[in-house]
Amino acid sequence: MSTAAPLETVLEVRGLRLNRGHRQVICGVDLEVRRSEMVALMGLSGSGKTTVLRAVAGLEAYGEGSIEVEKVGMVFQFHYLFEHLSALANVWLAPVHVLGVARPDAEARAQSLLDQVGVGHRAQAFPRELSGGEAQRVAIARALAVDPPLLLLDEPTASLDPARQNELGKALRELSGQGRTLLFTSHDDDFVRDYATRVVVLAEGRVVEEGEPRQVLTRPKHEATRQLLQVEPAKRRAKR
Amino acid sequence: MRVRSFFLLLLLLAGEAPSIAQDPILRWGGDAEGGAPFMEANPEDPTKLVGFDVEVAELIALELGRTPRFVQVAFAQLDQSAIRGDFDLGLCGIEDTPARRSMVAASVPYYEFREVLTVRDADKDRFKSLADLRGRSIATLGGTIAYEVLLKAEGEHGITAVSYDDDVHPYSDLLLGRVDAVLLDNVLADRSMRRNSGLFTQPEAVDVGHYVVITAPANVELRDRVDEILRSAMRDGRLEAIFQKWNSWNDDQPGLYARVLAAASDVVAEHPAAARPSRAELTLQYLPSLFEAAFITLALSCLSMALAVSLGITIATGRVYGGNLTRAFLTGYVELMRGTPVLLQLFVIYYGLAAMVRLPAFAAALLGLGLNYAAYESEIYRSALEAVPRGQLEASRILGFSRMQVLRLIRGPQAFRLALAPMTNDFVALLKDSSLVSVLTVVELTKRTQIFAANIGSWVIPGVLCAALYLAMSLPLGHLARRLEMRWRAPSPS
Repeated sequence: MSTAAPLETVLEVRGLRLNRGHRQVICGVDLEVRRSEMVALMGLSGSGKTTVLRAVAGLEAYGEGSIEVEKVGMVFQFHYLFEHLSALANVWLAPVHVLGVARPDAEARAQSLLDQVGVGHRAQAFPRELSGGEAQRVAIARALAVDPPLLLLDEPTASLDPARQNELGKALRELSGQGRTLLFTSHDDDFVRDYATRVVVLAEGRVVEEGEPRQVLTRPKHEATRQLLQVEPAKRRAKR
Repeated sequence: MRVRSFFLLLLLLAGEAPSIAQDPILRWGGDAEGGAPFMEANPEDPTKLVGFDVEVAELIALELGRTPRFVQVAFAQLDQSAIRGDFDLGLCGIEDTPARRSMVAASVPYYEFREVLTVRDADKDRFKSLADLRGRSIATLGGTIAYEVLLKAEGEHGITAVSYDDDVHPYSDLLLGRVDAVLLDNVLADRSMRRNSGLFTQPEAVDVGHYVVITAPANVELRDRVDEILRSAMRDGRLEAIFQKWNSWNDDQPGLYARVLAAASDVVAEHPAAARPSRAELTLQYLPSLFEAAFITLALSCLSMALAVSLGITIATGRVYGGNLTRAFLTGYVELMRGTPVLLQLFVIYYGLAAMVRLPAFAAALLGLGLNYAAYESEIYRSALEAVPRGQLEASRILGFSRMQVLRLIRGPQAFRLALAPMTNDFVALLKDSSLVSVLTVVELTKRTQIFAANIGSWVIPGVLCAALYLAMSLPLGHLARRLEMRWRAPSPS
């Protein structure tokens, strides 16, 4: 599967620069993502990975550079499900009101998307009644409902235990197998090693290293990548 | 120790009452708003009052060897005030009625008036009596004989009685066409004719009444002294001189004096005092009208709230999404409406704008309350809109919703949940503030209760009934709002 030839470009970022006040937080990032890829953005806190993701989503105004992308879906770290609607309605709302799909069709599709990500049985639950993992699945289904060529996920593993992380990884791999493209940020080198097809390491607003995850994360070339690998196991131990 | 000093204080307070008899000051109550010829502020020295009632009070004080001191009391509260002992004597064009005599001690009549019908010049030949006014509205001052006459005429002649809190606006509303006639004392009618052109007062009296001096019900001794003084002033012409001076002397007065001096008995017998129904009977009689008034309060509150909510949403949306100019304008509106009394706004809408738009009283009340509360509602919605987390808006934006769709489908509904509790609070406040509209002649629950209380001479039963009706309206509402909130705020499984 990993040997399959890369298909057309889904996202192309060129010379992206972005300021927060007078401080430049993204200092010339180039990034290309092709169809069916699962690209991980890694970096220490403050390296700019979430900012790049938000800029791609159109949530950050940037000073210089260009971002070429057709349409994106996004799964936020804290999900941001619509609090006043059931899981099912969270998923069909945009197809009905944005794409103009007939309500019964949109509902049927929403139910099948929820089934697909494994939370079909929670369709009538409200966001406040869902566990963190369930809410994340609903958020993925909501993002997929408008069929974005590129799906962005901000720290998808952050609030999941190792077993749930593996379930998520498999689900994402399945999506990628269906021809969807994924770009996600992560702190977790194990998860990235196991599931990403490519890793891009950011440090101080620049891409410092990128390539095949096993290679990059086993024999890091850049100091920032080494630091990342030292910090992460320690953090995980501290969490337990 | 503290308890004992409290009782001492009570004793001191209680002890004040008997000492009044020896008090060199004679406190007399009236409503200075009554105006000339009864009483009004002296144009040359506004701290002093002038008028025939002022002079009659001074005459009585002089004869009693005491110094008169004026106590301001709202006209409608004069009886209650007399019972409470706020003043020794009350006189301010106070009418002699059986109901009044059952509550307070009243003197012999000192002036006879006729209830007369005033109409617009153009109508003087077609509206000559109450019977000519079938299907029309007739204005008068609330709590007067004229009002009682009109209430009776509602059944007999099919007219609508409209009660005012003052005697100026019935005539101005007559000129504006809001009502078709005014029934009031000839003294007041004469005064309005001098002030306004275009009015005509029919010469035939609809009824005859008298002004009396009132005292606390137990103070019969003082009342008898007042009777003596009034009789002697009738004999020696001093009373006539006072009314001559105020251009209020007429041919009716000598007859009254003759009867008072000859009979020394109640001239009020024209209005038979007998067979007054008991308080329980009166309460039962009043119940339907209290329910009706409660319905008016509820309808007015619901409609005003509907206006306030829709306008409030518009203002809040404009303040959150609008440009600088829109925001500045809407902020100005909110500050103006919140920063000035709603009573003033009601007066301006009903009376102030009357030259341009002649709103019916209910519509003006609805508009006044609605416009005022819209300012408060808009602030609630604005802060609720701003309290919806940014993440919700970002998530909607990425999904491709337009700004209007975000507001309608996501931000609005979530803000509404946040706004529900303060909105319920405001609705309960509005329910009670709606009593202010009685100044625009709308008889709602509080006003009806006031009339009821004046009629039976006690606030106890009317007060309890009125409170119970307000609670019956506000409690279910609070309950409903709490249930909705609980449903929306179910705890999340952590």
